[in-house]
Amino acid sequence: MKKTSEQHIDQSAKLAFSFFIASAGLWLLAAALLAYIAAAKLTDPLFLASWEIFTYGKIKIIQANAFVYGWGGNSIFAVSLWIIARLSQSLIRGSTFLIFAGTVWNLAITFGLFGILDGYMLGHELLEMPKEVWPALFVSYLVISFLILVVFRSRKQSTTIAPQWFIVAALIWFPCLFIFAWSGLEINPGRGTLSSILSIWFGQNIIWLWLTPVALGCAYYIIPSVLNRPIDKYYLAIFGFWCIAALAPWSVVHHLEGGPVPMWVPAIGTVMSIAMVFPIAVASTNFHSTAFQDISRVWNYLPLRFVIFGTLSYTISSYIGVIFSLPAVAKLTQFSIINEFHFNQRVYGFFSMIIFGIVYHILPQITGREIGTAAKNFHFWTSAFGVFAILLAYLIGGLTHGVLAQQPSLEWVTVIESVKPYFLITEYAFIILGFSQLVFVLNLWKVLVPNPFACCDSGAKQKTA
Amino acid sequence: MSLEKQSNEEIRASGMKDDALVEEHVRLHQIKHEPTKGFLQAPLIFVFVFGCLIFLCSIQLALTTNDFQLHPPKEADTETPEQKEANRWAKKLSAGKKVFLANCSSCHKPNGVGEPGVYPPLAGSNWVTTDPALITNIILKGLKGEIKVNGDTYGTTGIAMNSIAISDRQIANVVTYVRQAWGNEADPIEIFEDDVASVRAEYSEKQDQWVFKQLKDIYPEALFGD
Repeated sequence: MKKTSEQHIDQSAKLAFSFFIASAGLWLLAAALLAYIAAAKLTDPLFLASWEIFTYGKIKIIQANAFVYGWGGNSIFAVSLWIIARLSQSLIRGSTFLIFAGTVWNLAITFGLFGILDGYMLGHELLEMPKEVWPALFVSYLVISFLILVVFRSRKQSTTIAPQWFIVAALIWFPCLFIFAWSGLEINPGRGTLSSILSIWFGQNIIWLWLTPVALGCAYYIIPSVLNRPIDKYYLAIFGFWCIAALAPWSVVHHLEGGPVPMWVPAIGTVMSIAMVFPIAVASTNFHSTAFQDISRVWNYLPLRFVIFGTLSYTISSYIGVIFSLPAVAKLTQFSIINEFHFNQRVYGFFSMIIFGIVYHILPQITGREIGTAAKNFHFWTSAFGVFAILLAYLIGGLTHGVLAQQPSLEWVTVIESVKPYFLITEYAFIILGFSQLVFVLNLWKVLVPNPFACCDSGAKQKTA
Repeated sequence: MSLEKQSNEEIRASGMKDDALVEEHVRLHQIKHEPTKGFLQAPLIFVFVFGCLIFLCSIQLALTTNDFQLHPPKEADTETPEQKEANRWAKKLSAGKKVFLANCSSCHKPNGVGEPGVYPPLAGSNWVTTDPALITNIILKGLKGEIKVNGDTYGTTGIAMNSIAISDRQIANVVTYVRQAWGNEADPIEIFEDDVASVRAEYSEKQDQWVFKQLKDIYPEALFGD
C-alpha cells in the first residue's frame, strides 16, 4: 500500500523531474565546455583569440551563470520537487505549468547568455545577464517555486523535518535575495560603495542561501533514507539551520577585506564567517556520525558515496574558507586566484556532487531503469579526481600567487609565470571533469530517453526475471 | 564484502520509507528533555570552545570595526612626544633654510659671512643673536645708512628688505634658522609666527626703513657695542 503511494508520487513527478534534470544536464555540459575554454585561455592567451565573443571576461561570466542558473537552478527545481513531494506524501499537480515555466526559465537564461556575448553584460556578480531577461526569470521562478510550495502545503504530517526546512527555505530565499539586490542595484541604485557591497553580497549569497541549503537538504534526506537510521544528534539540526539563515548573509561580505568599503563591513563578515563554524560543525556531525555507523553501505551504494563525498568536501573546504577569512590570512590571499578555490569547491566539490548522488538515487525510482554501475563508478572516480585536482591547484596556486604578489621586489610577470603551472593543472582537471559530466549526462539521457532497441531488450529481460 | 553484492534496488528497498522517515524525525524533534543518552558526551567542552570563539570574535570586532565609522582611522600614532618635537624642529629649520637660501643668501652668502663693507655678516653677529625683535624688525622694514657690526662698518645704501614678500610664518622660520646657524647661539632660540605678528603690529605706523640710530634707541642692550 505504502509502496504504491510512493510510486504514485513518482509517477506524478516523472514528467517535470525528467524535464528539469534533462535540461540541467545540458547546461552542465555547456558550462563544462565553457569552463575548459576559460581555463585554456589562461594558459594560452592566443587560444580562440580571433573571436571577440570568446574573450576571457565573457566566457568566464557565461560559465558561472550557465552553471549557477542553468545547472544549479534546474537541478534544484528537479530534486526539491521530488523530495518535497515524497516527504509531504502528496502528489504533484500542474506539471504542465511547471514545464512551461521551466521552458521560460531556460529560454531566459539562453537569451541572457547570448546577451552577455553581445555585450549587454551588467556589472553585478551573478546578475550579469541583461536587464530584460530578469522579469522572465523571476516570474518563471515564482511559478515553479509556488507549485512546489503547494505540494509542501498539502503535506500529510504537519510537523516538518530537516530536509524540508532547508529546501523550502532555499526556494523562498532566492526571490528575497533577488528583490533586495535588484532594487538596490538597478531600480533605485545606491550611491558610493553600496553597489559593490550589494553585488558581492548577492553573488555570494546565491551560493550560500540557494545552492548550499538545497544540497544540505538533499543530504539530510538521502542519508537516513538509505541507511535506514535516523539522523544522529538530530536535535542539533534546527540550530544549524537557523545559524545558516542568520550568519551566512552577514559572513559573505568578508570577501571585501581590503576593499574600498567602510571597515566594519569586512570586519563583521570575518566575525560571522568564524561563527559559521557552528552550522558547519552541526551539519558535519549530523551527516558523518550517521553515515559512519554504516560505512560499508555508504561505500557500496554509489549515490550515497557521492553525497558523503560532497558533505566531506563541504566540511573541509568550509573550515578552510573560515581560515581564509581571517584578516591576517586574507591580507595575503585576497587578490589571488584563491577566490576560484572558494567558488569551485562550493559548486563542484559540494553542490554538484550531492546533486549527482541524489539524481542517481531518484532516477531509477522514477523511471524504473537502473543506470550501469560501471558508468556510475567511472563518473564518481573522474569527478572525485577532477575536483581534487582543481581544488588543490587553486589552493596551492592561490597561496603561491598571494604570497609572491606581496613581494615588492618581484615583477608582476614573474609572479604570474610562477602560477602558470597551476593554471595548466586546472585546465587538464577541467577536461577530466568535462568527461565525467559528459558521462553523467549520457547516463541521465540514456535512462530518460531510452534507445528503442535497448528498450525492448531490457523489457524482455525484465519479463524473464 | 558480502554487502558488496547487494544491488542498488535491494539497498533502496531496505532503506527507510519516506513516511517512516518523516515520523521518526518528527518524533526526535518533539523530544524536549531526553536524558544524556544519544546526546554529545562532552557538552561542557563544546560550550567552552564556543564561548572562547564568541569571546575571540568580540575582540576581533572591537579591534577592527573602527566604531562603525564611515572612514578609516588616521595613521597609527606611534611617535613619542620627544620624536614629534624633534621632527617639528627639523622641519622648521629646513623650512627656514629654504627661505634663507631663496631670499637672503645672495647678499649675506649661504654661510652668512656677508660681504665686507657692504653686506653685514649674520654669523657671529650680536644683531642676530640678541633680541629677536631686532632682526624681525629689519626684515619687516629694511635698513638704510651705515651700520656697525662687530666693529666694522657696512651698508652705504638703503636696503629694502621689506620688498621681499614673505609671510610671518616664513619670517619666524628664517629668523629661527639664522639664530642657530653657523655657530650662532641665541636665547630664546626659537621664534614663532605670533612673535613676528606682534612686532609687525607694534611698528605698523612706520613706513620707511630703519636707520642705525633709531634701532639703537629701541634696542640699546642689543647694540650696546656698536
